[in-house]
Amino acid sequence: MDIFIKIVKKTSEICGVIATFLLLLSVLAIVHMVVERYVFNLSTVWQTEFVIFSLAGATFIGSPYILLKKGHVNVEIIPHYLGKRGKFICALIASLTSFLFCLIISYVAFQYWHESYTGDWKTGTVWDAKIWKLMISFPIGMTLTSLQYIADILSLLTGREMPFQNPNTGEAH
Amino acid sequence: MDPSVIGILVIIVTLIVFGSGAPVAFGLGIVAIIFLFGFQGFGMTKILAETFFGGISEFTIVSIPMFVVMGIAVAASPAGKDLYSALDRWLNKVPGGLVVSNLGACALFAALSGSSPATCAAIGKMGIPEMRERGFSKEISAGTIAAGGTLGILIPPSITMIVYGISTETSIGKLFIAGLIPGIMLTILFMAWAIFKIWWTTRNNDQNFKDLIFKNYSWKEKFEVLPKVVPFLLIVAGVLYTLYGGIATPSEASGVGAFFCILLIAVVYKIYQPKKIWSILTESMKESGMIMMIIAASYLFSFALSNLYITQTVAEAMTTLKVNKWVLMFMINIFLLVAGFFLPPVAVIVMTAPILLPIIEQAGFDPYWFAVILTINMEIGLITPPVGLNLYVINGIAPDINLKEILTGSLPFMLCMVLAIIILCIFPEIATWLPNKLFTK
Repeated sequence: MDIFIKIVKKTSEICGVIATFLLLLSVLAIVHMVVERYVFNLSTVWQTEFVIFSLAGATFIGSPYILLKKGHVNVEIIPHYLGKRGKFICALIASLTSFLFCLIISYVAFQYWHESYTGDWKTGTVWDAKIWKLMISFPIGMTLTSLQYIADILSLLTGREMPFQNPNTGEAH
Repeated sequence: MDPSVIGILVIIVTLIVFGSGAPVAFGLGIVAIIFLFGFQGFGMTKILAETFFGGISEFTIVSIPMFVVMGIAVAASPAGKDLYSALDRWLNKVPGGLVVSNLGACALFAALSGSSPATCAAIGKMGIPEMRERGFSKEISAGTIAAGGTLGILIPPSITMIVYGISTETSIGKLFIAGLIPGIMLTILFMAWAIFKIWWTTRNNDQNFKDLIFKNYSWKEKFEVLPKVVPFLLIVAGVLYTLYGGIATPSEASGVGAFFCILLIAVVYKIYQPKKIWSILTESMKESGMIMMIIAASYLFSFALSNLYITQTVAEAMTTLKVNKWVLMFMINIFLLVAGFFLPPVAVIVMTAPILLPIIEQAGFDPYWFAVILTINMEIGLITPPVGLNLYVINGIAPDINLKEILTGSLPFMLCMVLAIIILCIFPEIATWLPNKLFTK
C-alpha cells in the first residue's frame, strides 16, 4: 500500500509541475497576444484559445496536486469542535463524497472527450485546433484527482494520516 | 416533488456535505449530481461534462489566474513593507499616522493583489509589530489590519468582482470601477474611526506616549522610499486605465499586469532566481486552480438548481412577497451576512448571485451597485468568526494576539462597513456614477 500511496503522491507532484508550466505559458501567450495585437496591429490566431485551454488544463491537471497540498478550500468548523472519532467520521464522509464526485466527473469527462475525438470536433476559428487535444487534461486531471482521493482515504483508514492534517506542518486541526 | 421542497433538501444536503469538511468545489458538485440523478435520472451525463468544462473554458475567466499571479508575485516581495513605510513617512503628522498609514497601505496593496488574506499578511507582518512597538494596543493593531485587509476584495482589481461578473454575466470592467469610489469611501471611514480612536486614547496621555506614536522623518527618508513603490502603483493605474479606457479586455490587462509584476519584483527586489519565480507560479496555480474548480462546480450547481426549477421558484416567491424593496434588500443583506460567516466569498457569490440577480433587478436595483453591497457583506464575513479568514491570518502572523482581541479591534471597523452599506443604500450613485459615466462613451 505504501508503494501505491507514494506513486500517487509522486504523480500528483508531477501534475503540479505541469500545471505550473501551463500557467507560465499562459502568461507568456497573453503578453505575446497583446504585443501582436496592440503594438504591431496584427490579428491574433492561436493565442486566445491556447490561453483558455492552457488555464483549464492547469486547473484540471493541477487539481490532484492542490488536493495533495490540501489547497481545495473547505470549511472545518464542525470537525474542529469534534473529538478524534468525530473528526475521523467527518474526514471520511468528506473524502468519500468528494471522491464520488471526482469519479463521476472522470467518467463523464472521458465520454465527452471520446465524443470530441470520434466526432473530430474543431474549434471552428482561424486556428481550428482539434478539441480532443485541447481537452485531454479534463479526463486525465479528474481521474488523477480521484486516484489522489483513493490514496488519501487509504491513508486515513490505515492511520497513516490524521483527519484534516495540514500537509505542510503535519498538524491536525 | 414540489421545487420548494427539493430546494430545502438541497440546502440540508449542502450543509451536511460542507459541514463534514469536504472541499467547497467538490461538495457543490456532488450535491448537484445527487439531485440531478435523483430527480432526473442518469440521462444527462453529457451535459454534466459540458457544463463543468464549459464553466472554466472562457476567455473572461482568464483574468482570475492572472490577477492571482499578480497578487502572489507582489506579496512574495517586500513591496507591502515598502508601501507601508512610504505611507508612514509621509503621513507621520496625521493624528494616529501609523494606523492611518497601515490602512492606506492595505488599500493600495489591495489594488495590487485583489485578495484579502494576501493584503492582511503582506501589510500585517510589518505593520502589527511596528504599531505595537509604538504604543498602540493589541486590539487596534490587529483590528486595523484585519479590516484593512478586507479592502482587497472591494478595491479593483478584485477577484470577487470577477467571479460575480462571470456568475451574473455583467461587465467585469464596469464592476471594477463600481468598487473604486466605495472602496475609497470605506478606507476613509476606517481612517476616520482610527483617527478618532487614537485621539480619544491619547488625549490624556503624557508627552512620552505621543512622541512614541508621532515619529518624525527627514525629507530624504521620505523620498528615498518612493522609487520602490511608484512602479507598482503605475501597474495598477495602467491596468485600470486600459480597462476603463476600453483599450484592452480584463484578461489581456491582467495578463500583462502579471508579467510586469514579475518583471518588477525581479528589477526592484532582485527576485529573479528561477526557483523563486517557480514557487510564485506554483502558489498562483494552487490558488487559482482552487477558485476555478469552485467556479466550474458552481456552474453544475446552478444548472441543477435551474433544471429542478428551484431558482425560478425562489425568484417567483420573492416577487410575490410584495414587500417593500428595501425590506427585501435588508433580508438579502442578512442572508448574505450569515452566508459570509460560514463560507468563503467566492463560494457565496457563485451559489447565490445567479439566484439573487433576477430578484434584485426586478426590484429595481442596479446589478453593479448590488455587487458592491454584496462584496462589503463578504468583507464583514472575512473578519467574523467562525470562518473569518483574516482573523486567522492575523492570528498566524501575530500569535500573541488572541482571537478575542483581534475581534474586539475589528468590531468598530465592522460597524464602519455596515455604515458604508447604509450610505450606499441612501446614495447608490457612489457606486453607479463612475461606471455609468465611463461606460456610456
